[in-house]
Amino acid sequence: MHAPGPPRAAEWLIALSFRRVHERDMVLGDLHEEYVGHSMRQGADRWYWRQAISIAAHALARRIPADSTPHRSGDFFMRIFLKDVKYAWRSLLKRPLLTVTVATTLAFGLGANAAIFNLIDRLVFRPFPLADPDRTVLISETGPRLDYGNKETVSPANFIDWRNTADTVTHLSALLWWDANLVERNNPERVQGTQVSWGFLDALGMRPALGRGFVRDDETFGRHHVAIVSDALWKRRFGGDPALIGRSITIDGDPYQVVGIGPPRFAFPDGSELWAPLAFDPKQAPRRDIRYLTVIGRVQPARTVDDVQNQMSVIADRLAREYPDANRDHGVRVLTLTRGIMDQGTGPLLSLWQASALVVLLIACANIANLMLARTTERRRETAVRLALGASRGRVVRELLTESTLLALIAVPPAIAFAWVALHMMRISMPARILRFVPGVERLGPDPRLLAFTIGLALITALVFGVLPALQAAKSRVSEALKDGGRTTGRQLLRRVIVVAEMSIALPLLVAAGLGVLGTHRFLNGPQGYDPDGLLTMKLVLPERTYADDSARRRFVERAMETLVSVPGVEHAAAVNNLPAAGSNSSRAIEIDGHPAVDPKNPPVVDNRVATPDYFTTMRIPIQRGRAFSIADREGAAPVAIISESMAKKYWPGEDPVGHRLRIGKDPWMTVVGICGDVIQDWFDRRNVPTLYRPIAQSPSDYFGIVVRTAGNPAAIAASVRHALLRVDATQPVFEMMSMRVQLKERTIGLQYLAAIMTVFAGLALLLAVVGLYAVMAYMMTQRRHEIGIRIALGASPRDIARLTVGQAARLTAIGAAIGFALSLALGRLVQAGLLGIATNDGRVSVVFGLVLVASALVASYLPARRAAAIDPLVALRAE
Amino acid sequence: MSYIAVMTDHIYLGELEQIVLLAVLRLKDEAYAIPILDQIETQTGRKIARGALYTALDRLEAKGCLRSRVGEPLPERGGRARRYFTVTPAALHALKHSRASLLRLWRGLESLLER
Repeated sequence: MHAPGPPRAAEWLIALSFRRVHERDMVLGDLHEEYVGHSMRQGADRWYWRQAISIAAHALARRIPADSTPHRSGDFFMRIFLKDVKYAWRSLLKRPLLTVTVATTLAFGLGANAAIFNLIDRLVFRPFPLADPDRTVLISETGPRLDYGNKETVSPANFIDWRNTADTVTHLSALLWWDANLVERNNPERVQGTQVSWGFLDALGMRPALGRGFVRDDETFGRHHVAIVSDALWKRRFGGDPALIGRSITIDGDPYQVVGIGPPRFAFPDGSELWAPLAFDPKQAPRRDIRYLTVIGRVQPARTVDDVQNQMSVIADRLAREYPDANRDHGVRVLTLTRGIMDQGTGPLLSLWQASALVVLLIACANIANLMLARTTERRRETAVRLALGASRGRVVRELLTESTLLALIAVPPAIAFAWVALHMMRISMPARILRFVPGVERLGPDPRLLAFTIGLALITALVFGVLPALQAAKSRVSEALKDGGRTTGRQLLRRVIVVAEMSIALPLLVAAGLGVLGTHRFLNGPQGYDPDGLLTMKLVLPERTYADDSARRRFVERAMETLVSVPGVEHAAAVNNLPAAGSNSSRAIEIDGHPAVDPKNPPVVDNRVATPDYFTTMRIPIQRGRAFSIADREGAAPVAIISESMAKKYWPGEDPVGHRLRIGKDPWMTVVGICGDVIQDWFDRRNVPTLYRPIAQSPSDYFGIVVRTAGNPAAIAASVRHALLRVDATQPVFEMMSMRVQLKERTIGLQYLAAIMTVFAGLALLLAVVGLYAVMAYMMTQRRHEIGIRIALGASPRDIARLTVGQAARLTAIGAAIGFALSLALGRLVQAGLLGIATNDGRVSVVFGLVLVASALVASYLPARRAAAIDPLVALRAE
Repeated sequence: MSYIAVMTDHIYLGELEQIVLLAVLRLKDEAYAIPILDQIETQTGRKIARGALYTALDRLEAKGCLRSRVGEPLPERGGRARRYFTVTPAALHALKHSRASLLRLWRGLESLLER
């Protein structure tokens, strides 16, 4: 039989440590030879590992030049420093196991922080690969009806006035979301596009890779059918052929001449692949009352963002005076593009993550400090001898700090590797559809800033875990330390305080993670207000050219519904302007008959849905009172509406709304015919909000989602549904076709990340805290061997002894848990903001996790307790 | 001879190095790392770390105190060969020199040892 060889990984470790092949072979051969002898006994692998670690450490030490320090008088401090480093290195090598343990613990703590730092750095501070991103500004209008996070805030006429008057900012450019239907070789595809003013690329400091950017003349209405194609689209659909420049392509049924190719990887905003000039038709250009543009610009070289803000405010004041109807109470806010376009929620979310990562690191530091304290105690005599021989206390402190610093720096490379793996896993598990809305995510990964951050953090960490042991060592009294068996109590107290602190900061993290997981589970699997199983969803945007008026759109919807229900496997089909969990919304200001708004300038606003009659059946949204829509609710018939339960409660409290009337703006009055159940439209901000449903026949929409219910697997009928829709219009692309379950999952991806990351952090924190307690208990047991021996000799039973130790651990944990509980309540608000409001900390979760913490701590203290109970008094007393 | 004399002026041997050289000398033709380690342990009662021995061997070879040759590949070593060491004349000279110095220093102090 062939004997199993030495552990592979250990061999690999040795191989890595030696540069010269002959030396490596000698060492590996020697160890192999002895391993064969050892393998007859138990623990041969452990023996091999011990040898491997020790050999690797020595081999590494050899590479540090021993006495190469030049003896010049000028570098006196350098020499001292190198001496300290050498001394520290040797003392680390004397304890390879301790060194590896500490470095591994630190690598996890530092790695977690590095990963989150990289996320914040890339997603929040530098999301765009622009030449000089802080020179590009986002200019928005502010007003009573405009939310802070809203980016589409500017009316066409205001924009044109801004562009004509502002001189602190150039290349002012308006942006408009554009769902482009690109038909190339009879293959329709929906492409994300943006209509932009001519200065767009200059505003961002970019140039086209081929061809030209837009010029002023391209914006002239009627001459505006030119386009810039993104590098990605150019390669994907046109084979990267440079002859595309000057060619005509068909978008939304119109011919567009391609004039340029975008720079590589450029996809601003929101993953755009196509840009066309934003030309206002004569009807649009003078409007001030509709605000739908996003405006960016480039700050003039000698000016600052503040200059732009000041000038824009003056312009806004003038426009408010000149056009009071539309512009009264409206101002302007100027932010750098990076700040302006950041999603709300990203900030608090990433702050929570970074805070959690720091907590993990802090607990890791506490553990390491404890290990180092134990080490200092062991070296008490060595230190005392050195002090007695005349070493200064400063030198002792310095050496110990150098040792800590060295330890922390050793952990930097594995920490960065750990961060890289974590970020990579995060990126590959994110769906591409979501990815393109997260600017900066494609460039996650190690860079010099990350390295600098990690090294900086490692140095701070070294100070955190190194200072206490160093000071303790320096404090040691020579006379006492040299006395045999001298005991210290102060150090014990310090170690206990450290353990209590670990427990108390681990608890809030556990609670936050628990809340995150509960919240995510609820949003994914809890009631949605409709039945998400067996639903297939997709989206359509009808181009204006082919579907110019309401009747054309109505006809398309009717034919599509008829065709879809004839597809085998389809039970019901419906269309609605905004599907739940699809990331879009529409809302309207309403007027309620008999309940005039308190402030006419601030009428109530509700979510607006237009749907086909079968929508409620298809989605299984219950009709609680009255009726659903029917085919009779068509164009020309009496306008009707169905309202959600929450809307009924809010606007008709204590009344039955059925039969009452409401209207949108000055549109005809609609009669409420039914009340339906509430729906979670979006987990982030649209949960069970007041919603108004209207028949799509009475208010046709040119963009909508289609939802199909099947008894079986939604994916199985996807192909036949797509074919059925192509039979209705062969040039009409259908996009984002997926099951409702997938849709929900993608929509809550942020939440799932949140829960997963918090769980990892909390798990690490719990593990570290419990290991910390274990180490302290085990250490105290060895320190008290003598005392326990006496107790046993005097008749204490093993039970008494176990109770003694477990009791002590329980007391420490209870104090830690109590402080942690208070902390988690105090930090509740931060946690809630970081968790995006998906869960409220009601104290019960804190109690549950407090108990979890106590239970795991008791388990951890049981082992040392059992060992203590097994102490043989004779042996313990003789050892002294 | 003058060549060696010049060399000895420059070879300084640390305690561990002397121990290793002596162990190699005692083992004659069979001096490779494992028996060297055994020899040191049995003769001095000192346990030295394997990594420290390899460092010492490497240093001594670099200083010209040891020469090494490679044996046959052996199955019990995973197909790797043993590396046998021999002490160079220069190192032998340095050892003799060191021994002589020590003995001179001890001379007349025998009474101290009795106590």
